[in-house]
Amino acid sequence: MIILTKIAWRSIWRSKLRSSVVIFAIASGLLGGLFSSAWMNGMAMQRVKNTFAFEIGHVQMHHPDYSENMDVKKTIVDTRKKISALSSTEGVKSVTQRLRITGMAATANKNTGVNIIGVDPVTEKAVFELYQRIDSASGNFFESNAKNQIVISKALANELNAKLKSKIVLTFQDFNGEITGAAFKVVGLYKTDNNPWDKMHVFVKNDDLRSVLEVPDDQSHEIVMLLDDYEQAGALAVLLQTRNPGTKVEGWAEISPYLSLMSGYMDTMMGLFMAIILGALGFGIVNTMLMVVLERTRELGMLMAIGMTKKRIFIMIMLETIFLALVGGIIGEILSVLCIAHFGRTGIDLSSVAEGMEAVGYSANTYPMLEGYRYVQITLLVVITGILASVYPALKALKLHPAEAIRSN
Amino acid sequence: MSIIHINNITKTYHDTEVPVHAVNGINLTFEKGEFAAIVGPSGCGKTTLMNMIGGLEQPTSGNVVVDESILSELSSNQLIDFRLKNIGFVFQAFNLIPVLTAKENVEFIMQLQNWDKKEMEERTLGLLKSVGLGDKINSKPNQLSGGQQQRIAVARALASKPKFILADEPTANLDSVATKQLLEIMEKLNREEHMTFIFSTHDQRVMDKAKRVITLDDGKVISDVMKD
Repeated sequence: MIILTKIAWRSIWRSKLRSSVVIFAIASGLLGGLFSSAWMNGMAMQRVKNTFAFEIGHVQMHHPDYSENMDVKKTIVDTRKKISALSSTEGVKSVTQRLRITGMAATANKNTGVNIIGVDPVTEKAVFELYQRIDSASGNFFESNAKNQIVISKALANELNAKLKSKIVLTFQDFNGEITGAAFKVVGLYKTDNNPWDKMHVFVKNDDLRSVLEVPDDQSHEIVMLLDDYEQAGALAVLLQTRNPGTKVEGWAEISPYLSLMSGYMDTMMGLFMAIILGALGFGIVNTMLMVVLERTRELGMLMAIGMTKKRIFIMIMLETIFLALVGGIIGEILSVLCIAHFGRTGIDLSSVAEGMEAVGYSANTYPMLEGYRYVQITLLVVITGILASVYPALKALKLHPAEAIRSN
Repeated sequence: MSIIHINNITKTYHDTEVPVHAVNGINLTFEKGEFAAIVGPSGCGKTTLMNMIGGLEQPTSGNVVVDESILSELSSNQLIDFRLKNIGFVFQAFNLIPVLTAKENVEFIMQLQNWDKKEMEERTLGLLKSVGLGDKINSKPNQLSGGQQQRIAVARALASKPKFILADEPTANLDSVATKQLLEIMEKLNREEHMTFIFSTHDQRVMDKAKRVITLDDGKVISDVMKD
């Protein structure tokens, strides 16, 4: 086996130019495939993280019927007790409660439908990062104790012709079914990477909204949790559901099926990408190895004549093919790691198409990323491609008749 | 002691419209320690006969018996194993493995036979010295002359202690000096180690050195002369 490995490895370098071309093709194919996969993956992961950080958290608890039509009366009761229990649950990093209703936001000459979210500024900051999306020139996230403050997005401000310190009137249905409303002063303008979401969400303080809504104390529409590991959300939601009958506990994948769909979609896309690239490379390798067999007909005949078994001939050609694929594969992976690490740090700036990207919820500055296990997967796939690509040339070699092969030129 | 019996073998090729009778009823016996040359004009059936003795081709009729093995009764895999253990081959075009050094080329067959490493190295170095290339063990074939390559091929053929060596036109690509050196080495191995050599050749110098000259024509033995 050692001698076969030696022959296979050295044989790659017999025709340096030809092997280099194949190695370059494999390396550049992998670089293209891995980098574009990392780019798509980075965009998707950013979208997922932003959704967690600004929109939904990791796990949410609601009244079982709340999600049907966001009825203001469908509240969770005993929220203090629940929050206390949730906060001490293993795996839960932080917890906040929110009032959440739909209503109209109006300025002097414009109005639009919005989701009004009543937050506790302190605990909200422990779960959501929206406060970080208000730059210093655009106000703050409820830093003063003044009453009736509102934080809206820059996109909504633009639509309503509002700015900092503008007055916005919110109208909505209260706990008793009466239409009510209140005027709020804009204290902060935020901007996430999801423009449509920005236009739909305004934030006020929990206490201000509670008094207008007339929601009893110790009741809220939702409790949101941030976990130590977002991948545990599904399991933890099931556990919390059993501990909290009379509520509905959901992980992020249930709250936003689009996110889990996107994760699966990315896996499929990447699989498809790599299959196409490796398939194309496989055919290139088959072609090269067929040439190798053709060129070495006499040598193969000699090896058969002096007593090398067909099995050993097959293994030798397979090893040579695998080595060729692996050299290209490893170079391609190293280049990919370097490129992905570089752009993962600096990001890829697509600000020229920022508007379009943000219109569908993606950041204009994307950071390619690929999990470590993907590289191991790709290495295995390259080896498998090498093995598959060697079969046909090896079978061709086995069909040679030693006496005729030795006489060939 | 006879080691090869060729019993009335024929070989007919049907690749063309008219069947070609390359070997046409040959009976021969080779004793251990022979230094025999098979000669004759091109197309007389020398190479076909050599291939059948070496188990590379099967006769259309008749059989070749080496020791007690009837080659035509062996399966493809058994034939490969038989060649590995019993026959040393030397080819006209040297046919060394170009990516291996002289030492690795000689060791190759022993590696296929799973020899002990120390024993293998000792034998390899001994063989390379005996063919006058003890100082070229790490040279690749392309760094050696034709004569040197053919001497390595002889060392490789001898490596696993075969029963006999088949050399197909071994001097065809060599100049006179290299031919002389090669023949001297093979004669010495024949004389000292009692190694059996069977050549096919056109080369008068080989014929002159051979102790037995078998002449073929039209696939038949027309003379079989044993020299004193």
